[in-house]
Amino acid sequence: MDWTPQSRRSSNARREQNLALISAVVSGVVITVALVLLFLSRADPVLGARARGTALDIVTPIWSGIRAPFDWLGEVGGAVGAYIGTVPRNHELTAELAVAHRELETQARVIAENTALKRLLKVVEPRAGLVAVARIAGSSTGSYARTAMVSAGRDDGVVPGQPVRADAGLIGRTVETGNHAARILLLTDPNSRVPVTIVRTGQPALAVGANGRLLEIRDRLGADAALQVGDRLVTSGSGGVYGPQIPVAVIVDARAEPPLAEPYANPAGLSHVAIFAPYLPVPEIADPGIAANAVPVPREAGRRTAKARKPAGTPALAPASRGAATAPASTPPAAVPPAALRPATAPTP
Amino acid sequence: MNAPYRLLSPTDRVHFWSAFARRGIPGALTLLLTALMTMPLFASFPLMPHFALLGVFVWATLQSELMPPWLAFLIGLAADLLLGLPLGVNATLLPMVAIFVRIFQATYGRHRYGFDWALAALVILAFEAMGWQLLAFAGTHGPFAPLLIQVLTTILAYPAVVWLCARLQRGIAEAL
Repeated sequence: MDWTPQSRRSSNARREQNLALISAVVSGVVITVALVLLFLSRADPVLGARARGTALDIVTPIWSGIRAPFDWLGEVGGAVGAYIGTVPRNHELTAELAVAHRELETQARVIAENTALKRLLKVVEPRAGLVAVARIAGSSTGSYARTAMVSAGRDDGVVPGQPVRADAGLIGRTVETGNHAARILLLTDPNSRVPVTIVRTGQPALAVGANGRLLEIRDRLGADAALQVGDRLVTSGSGGVYGPQIPVAVIVDARAEPPLAEPYANPAGLSHVAIFAPYLPVPEIADPGIAANAVPVPREAGRRTAKARKPAGTPALAPASRGAATAPASTPPAAVPPAALRPATAPTP
Repeated sequence: MNAPYRLLSPTDRVHFWSAFARRGIPGALTLLLTALMTMPLFASFPLMPHFALLGVFVWATLQSELMPPWLAFLIGLAADLLLGLPLGVNATLLPMVAIFVRIFQATYGRHRYGFDWALAALVILAFEAMGWQLLAFAGTHGPFAPLLIQVLTTILAYPAVVWLCARLQRGIAEAL
């Protein structure tokens, strides 16, 4: 069935040469394109958000399906395990309960007092609205990034920048979303920075991921009080993404520089996590160039920002009262404070 | 089989197309291995081997024609998207691995299994170090020490991936 004549050696050699040349050119082009992509993602970290969302949408349902029987087996195993050792566990719990009851009485008094004081001071506290409860379907913990994939996406109201937590404590925040899936940046990712408060001393600090089991505690402010092993860290609420008082981590090595803390919540044993609305709405950023990258801004919002910036020329985050006081008399006091300064409205529960 | 397509019998046509499909198997398997890296396994340290790198390396050693740099680039893009990394990290390094293996084999010829394993170990270490640098360039600064654990697990996973790829290649060669 050989129809073409046997080609001669020389033309074969030429053909091979040409092919080698073409493949070298293609290789060069491919590497160049990849490097250009890298430069672009340095300039614009949310590059390819749509493609990333689609990739999540494809992979997440598969892992959800594969994971389901294992979850079920785990539940059965847990149920069997609960029967074994019931009596000693019961004794332990009864003893703990007696202590807990005593503490509860103190707490109830403190809570009542706290509520009364807050009412006196007219403190407005935004409520954290639950957006979705989602199954953990995948991870990329075997890499430079430490993220988890969950089976809830834009269709469920999940958008980038929402806090995610489990019973035990904070898990992380959403960074990418597909239609039915989202990616969560875990606390242990090198890019994760959570503003925390050290409960014993009240100092603010940052809990920074280190691509390992433990978090590094950096940028501690205030008096130079030494940390102790067992100090609890909770979210401080600054920044507006994570609401205050969510347990984050506990100090396990206070001598290290920086000190190390172990997160309360470990995604390893979890099957579901809860995604909340951001504690405070993210303020509009004065520079429209940055804001335009992240979300499409409605026209009215853009105009308002421009108007707010024009008259005073004050930094966007300066308090309104000071801006009005120091402004020359010719500038009329702004009737509406700039968007960034308006009191935060509570997100819908 | 050099006959014009119109002159082929239906059986021959099936063979013709399946030959095309066969050429896609290294890429498809490596993509599957890449997706395997998103397994819901939350270890304290980066324990998951870099299967995409192993897939590209092993196919480049076994069948370098079927793992050209542009295919490695596409797999690298998929890996960046799936693992949530800045676009271009794996997409730059994986084609470089494919090109390196190609040039290495063209210059020094094929080698025994143990030598390839040692070569793979060096490539993996270089890959992780360069990936760490590229990530720092793209804005993710992290410590390098945890990545050494991934280097180790990837080196240990090499025989399994070679076994899988060799078995698949033999099976397909026999089936057709």
